[in-house]
Amino acid sequence: MNAQTTRQRPAAGESDPAAAARRAGLALVVPALGVVVAVNVLPAFFGFYSSLRAIFFFGDDGFIGWRNYAELFADPATWAAIRRSLVFTFGSLALAVPLATLAAMGIRKLGAWGRLLLTVLLVPWAMSPIVVALLWKWILLPSPGGLLASILAHFGIEPINLLSHPDFAMPTVIAVGVWRTFAFAAIILTAGLGQIPADLYRAASVDGLTAIERFRRITFPLLAPSLLIVLSVLTISYFNEVQIIIGLTAGGPIHSTTTLGYQLFEVGFVELNQGKGNAIAIVMFLINLFLIVGYVRLLGGGRK
Amino acid sequence: MRYVTRVLAAILALAAAIIAVGPIVWAVSTSIKRNNEIFAVPPKLIPSSATLEHYARLIAEGVHWSFVNSAIYSIIAVSSAVALGTLAGYAFVRFEFRAKNALLHLFMAAMAIPSYALLLPTQILFVELGLFNTPAALPILYAAHVIPFAVWMTRAHFASVPIELEHAAAVDGYTRFEAVWRVVLPGAKPALIAAAAFGFLYAWNDYITSTTMIDSPELRTLPVALIFFQGFHGRDWGALMAGAVIATIPPVVLFLAFRRYLIGGFSEGSVKG
Repeated sequence: MNAQTTRQRPAAGESDPAAAARRAGLALVVPALGVVVAVNVLPAFFGFYSSLRAIFFFGDDGFIGWRNYAELFADPATWAAIRRSLVFTFGSLALAVPLATLAAMGIRKLGAWGRLLLTVLLVPWAMSPIVVALLWKWILLPSPGGLLASILAHFGIEPINLLSHPDFAMPTVIAVGVWRTFAFAAIILTAGLGQIPADLYRAASVDGLTAIERFRRITFPLLAPSLLIVLSVLTISYFNEVQIIIGLTAGGPIHSTTTLGYQLFEVGFVELNQGKGNAIAIVMFLINLFLIVGYVRLLGGGRK
Repeated sequence: MRYVTRVLAAILALAAAIIAVGPIVWAVSTSIKRNNEIFAVPPKLIPSSATLEHYARLIAEGVHWSFVNSAIYSIIAVSSAVALGTLAGYAFVRFEFRAKNALLHLFMAAMAIPSYALLLPTQILFVELGLFNTPAALPILYAAHVIPFAVWMTRAHFASVPIELEHAAAVDGYTRFEAVWRVVLPGAKPALIAAAAFGFLYAWNDYITSTTMIDSPELRTLPVALIFFQGFHGRDWGALMAGAVIATIPPVVLFLAFRRYLIGGFSEGSVKG
């Protein structure tokens, strides 16, 4: 089939050039399509199919309808995990988006230095979440030589283990997640700011607008489309974050960082309750879809 | 007033840079300290005598083979994903064929399927197919996850290349394949680099797919090997930070080398929305 792709024009005996072009086009798409359908699309359907069955340790005990879902929603642990996912998602957004907006405005002002700063800020984003988790664990643990404990001790504060304290674990995990992803938001917002015509600001200074008025009347409305993109991309990525949590707290202490994503990992791969694990994956997928549709509506509304 | 805000901005920028890079510098410092200095109170940033013993221990434990595994998996996955994605991306722009739009939407939909949703079903399928815990498992999965993105990136690029360029090359006596290879593809370099670099970062940094698809220590990727190392050696922070450093070098070097294309890829995505 691939031999056909390199052919320039139809051979003499062949029907019409349009048909040959159709075949060639399809032949170019099929290899990529085959892999994606076999490894992404079909398994997605198979996942839904599995969520309606009792599957443990790779053994299929048959069709049980919606029982995995019923069990899932009857379990208070599921609702707690959903709540924690939302706390993680919106807590991270509340930290990352304002910071990134401020940073983007600063980066625009700093010119070449701003671009350098952006590059530096993006370095954590290039790193593996697991490595990020290890790095921060070493900083946060109050073991001898731990950086945070030493800094706190310098100010006379008792060392606390943020990661094993039920009240501090979630905020800490949020902070580390934001550390890794925040520059991604800053870069999109910096590009968005670059789209705003400088004339508007010149006119505003002629009209004598204050900095806050300028932000409220020019920057914010014109940055809104970029802000919505940042919000939607980050919401999805925070909602699905699991590697940082695995690396930092493994869902603990006392489940205080067990998000829905972590629960999926635990139920599906540790307990090997694969039917129920798939049900969690489908629930997560639906929440994702709900969030995406919400943002598309918001974005669409913003365009008109 | 102007001067004050400028100084303030400089201080904030410096603080931001320190927060971003500080932990990495601290990891490097820890990885070359002797054990007595790692646990010194108060901590020292610059070791009085550097040592590579932690790196040596990683090698003694065979962790460097996980580095090799990660590199092989990522390179195979990314090069095949970009090659297949480019073919498809080109076809979507230059050819008319049956169900073209439906197929394009299928790629886009595949991009929207979250990878965690595929973990359990692919694990079950790979066990059935005998691919679970084999060297082929991760390259196939990573490639499949990167292909839709590569199609999207290259298609956007080819759409911006005028067909006249290819016609001109044809007039010069090039075959269609030669025209694409010599004239169109060199111009697509930024899109190809961006797709490849994003794909590499994804594959190299992945933990969750590789921990669910690979059991054997000799097939492990680096992030998984580091978690196992931590499990066995508890608080051996010197070696763990050495591992963090070697795991970070390839993605960060890649990012710095291709930052223009990567940042361009981000911001282009945002402007297009």
